[in-house]
Amino acid sequence: MTEVLRARGITKSFGGRAVLRGIDLDAQAGDVVSILGGSGSGKSTFLRCLNLLELPDAGRIEIAGTTAPLDHDRKGRPRIADPRALNALRAKTAMVFQNFNLWSHMSVLDNVIAAPVHVHGQPRGEAIERAHGLLDKVGMTGFAQHWPRQLSGGQQQRVAIARALATDPDLMLFDEPTSALDPERVREVLDLMRALAAEGRTMLIVTHEMAFARDVSSRVVHVRDGVIESMGPPDAMFGAGASPAFRAFLAH
Amino acid sequence: MNEEIAFLTVTALAIVRALPVTVVLALTSALGASAVAVALVAAQATRVGRPLAQVWIFVFRGTPLLLQLFMVYYGLAAVGPIRHGLLWPLFRDPLFCAFAAMTCCCSAYIAEVLRAAWQAIPPGQVEAAQACGMSRWTRVRRVIAPQMLRLALPAYGNELVMLIKSTSLASTITVLDVTGVAQTLIAHSYRTLEVFCLAAAVYLGLTAGLTALLRRIERNLERGTGR
Repeated sequence: MTEVLRARGITKSFGGRAVLRGIDLDAQAGDVVSILGGSGSGKSTFLRCLNLLELPDAGRIEIAGTTAPLDHDRKGRPRIADPRALNALRAKTAMVFQNFNLWSHMSVLDNVIAAPVHVHGQPRGEAIERAHGLLDKVGMTGFAQHWPRQLSGGQQQRVAIARALATDPDLMLFDEPTSALDPERVREVLDLMRALAAEGRTMLIVTHEMAFARDVSSRVVHVRDGVIESMGPPDAMFGAGASPAFRAFLAH
Repeated sequence: MNEEIAFLTVTALAIVRALPVTVVLALTSALGASAVAVALVAAQATRVGRPLAQVWIFVFRGTPLLLQLFMVYYGLAAVGPIRHGLLWPLFRDPLFCAFAAMTCCCSAYIAEVLRAAWQAIPPGQVEAAQACGMSRWTRVRRVIAPQMLRLALPAYGNELVMLIKSTSLASTITVLDVTGVAQTLIAHSYRTLEVFCLAAAVYLGLTAGLTALLRRIERNLERGTGR
């Protein structure tokens, strides 16, 4: 098994309030890890620490063999030691956001080819060809020349997933990918993610979709008050072996 | 009546002949001010540049353009190193002095317009660019600048309209632009209202043309988002 993610001792506070209080998490290639927890538990912050959209106060992150270039200034505040190393690390990951965050001034096609062309230096023609394949895959055939604002939320999120797949990332980070969708649109995105899991993508998913977490994950992680309260395979987590705290969270 | 028409025709021709001066001053100042404004915004993203840019904006936005014109044209001539320096041929020329003062003053306003546009970019747009590993320069080029342009355009257009009208102040430092020529004509004819009306019509034509152009650009940019 290839290790894709190794996070150790991640801590983060905002204005003196500790949001993450030491999180360790590993993921092997092909793992689908669902991160569950109440609002304010720190699960999204943890995910955003992994690609350094938030700078953790302490801890060590390794993604596909590359160590996050974290450092501290003289006052002990976290900082990026090397921007190029940071970009190289981020280029190995892809993130799918709650609010899609498709670039509003680019067509669907340009959204999908932006990272391959401008980050990975892939020839444009090649990237376009691949982008059309990915749009087929996410069920957005024929939408290449549309603009993000012309699409429904579910369609935007599927394009965002195609954009994330375009660089063939080692690790995909999903930050509540269905939370901003109408109930009837949630399904189309979850089905797509299910297909990605089945083809062996390594995925970390912060979600509130319990059924999805139970059916699709290889591991379920329960975050509470900035620490991992319990984790395990879905059978154990959703079965008799569940921790009381997780059971309480589910019942809530 | 015939005499009246003859006077207006002669006056209009004289004013239109001064149009190139006004246009050149407006165009060069607009380009200069925009370039300086971009530099000011970029400087504000660095630790050393931020206070310098802020002082620049504070000073040039906070003092009257008229005084700035006087200081550059009349004031700098009294400064030895300039009077006897290599740049004297430039600072001796009132048109250049007007260009310099207007560039400084308008750059402060345009920088604020650009900064507001920068801050109006939804954070998620930039995060998406960061998350896929774009370098800082690529983020600016592919995401931040195009979105800024779109957001800044209406207010930027407003600044350009103000700039065109402000060029008339250059007449106070002997530049014979549209306003300068109009004043000369009034000195000869004492027909203040007619001459100034003709001059005002020229400015109106210029700003109307600019406004139409800007509206067109705005429409094109909007088409580029599928609106």
